[in-house]
Amino acid sequence: MVEIQVHEDGCRGCRMCVDICPTTVFEYDEEKRICVVRHQEDCIACLSCAYLCPSGALAHANFHTVKNFYRDLAFCEKMERFL
Amino acid sequence: MTELAATRASLQETMSFLGAIASGIEEAIGESANGISYLAGKRLGMKLSEKVEKTDDLLQALESVRRVLQENSCLWHFEPFQMHDRPEMIELTESGEEVNLVFRDCMIRQSLFRFGHQQKGSLCNMMFGFFAGALLNIMGRDSVLEIRHAGENACYKRLLIQKAGTKEVA
Repeated sequence: MVEIQVHEDGCRGCRMCVDICPTTVFEYDEEKRICVVRHQEDCIACLSCAYLCPSGALAHANFHTVKNFYRDLAFCEKMERFL
Repeated sequence: MTELAATRASLQETMSFLGAIASGIEEAIGESANGISYLAGKRLGMKLSEKVEKTDDLLQALESVRRVLQENSCLWHFEPFQMHDRPEMIELTESGEEVNLVFRDCMIRQSLFRFGHQQKGSLCNMMFGFFAGALLNIMGRDSVLEIRHAGENACYKRLLIQKAGTKEVA
């Protein structure tokens, strides 16, 4: 199952993750004024929330990363020699 | 670069090119581009599923579609998805049978991202056409594949298999 971590110190409570999530994984906590993970089991790992979060306060683990195009991989392999 | 890697690189360049063409067509002819790519996808779906065994079971039909894609080396992995508050994977509605699908590896998404083209466009409609064609062959019924969310790492779609005699437009 996908694991989602919200960095509470970083979250500004903008609710963008709540709005973008297609499977209503997040909820806004009125008391703490931050977003919280309510239904982690519903996460499909589209990663839209992580891309959208202005504070970079969301981190995902244990998910399937889409296969990138081969040319990018070949390019990265070459670049690794220099890094 | 090995021969296989060179072939894959060529194929992926072609997909990127196709992404650019699709994006250009959308600007040039507007929404008609969706109809063209839908029909192209439907024809492909019908052709590739010609010899697939017929069934009325939606999950079995989806398994057949997945197998058709794999056998034809198409990078279009998808899986049925059930949210926590949904009692069954397949929901029966007035329009027909509904199931939510998650698409993970998708060559269309990768093609579009390469040069920053928008999702939910005519190439995504080709996927809708592919499912419509394949499921028409396998189940003998019309279907609608609606994009609920197009994400960076996965897309979330609703598939509706229509009851005979009903019609829903995507």
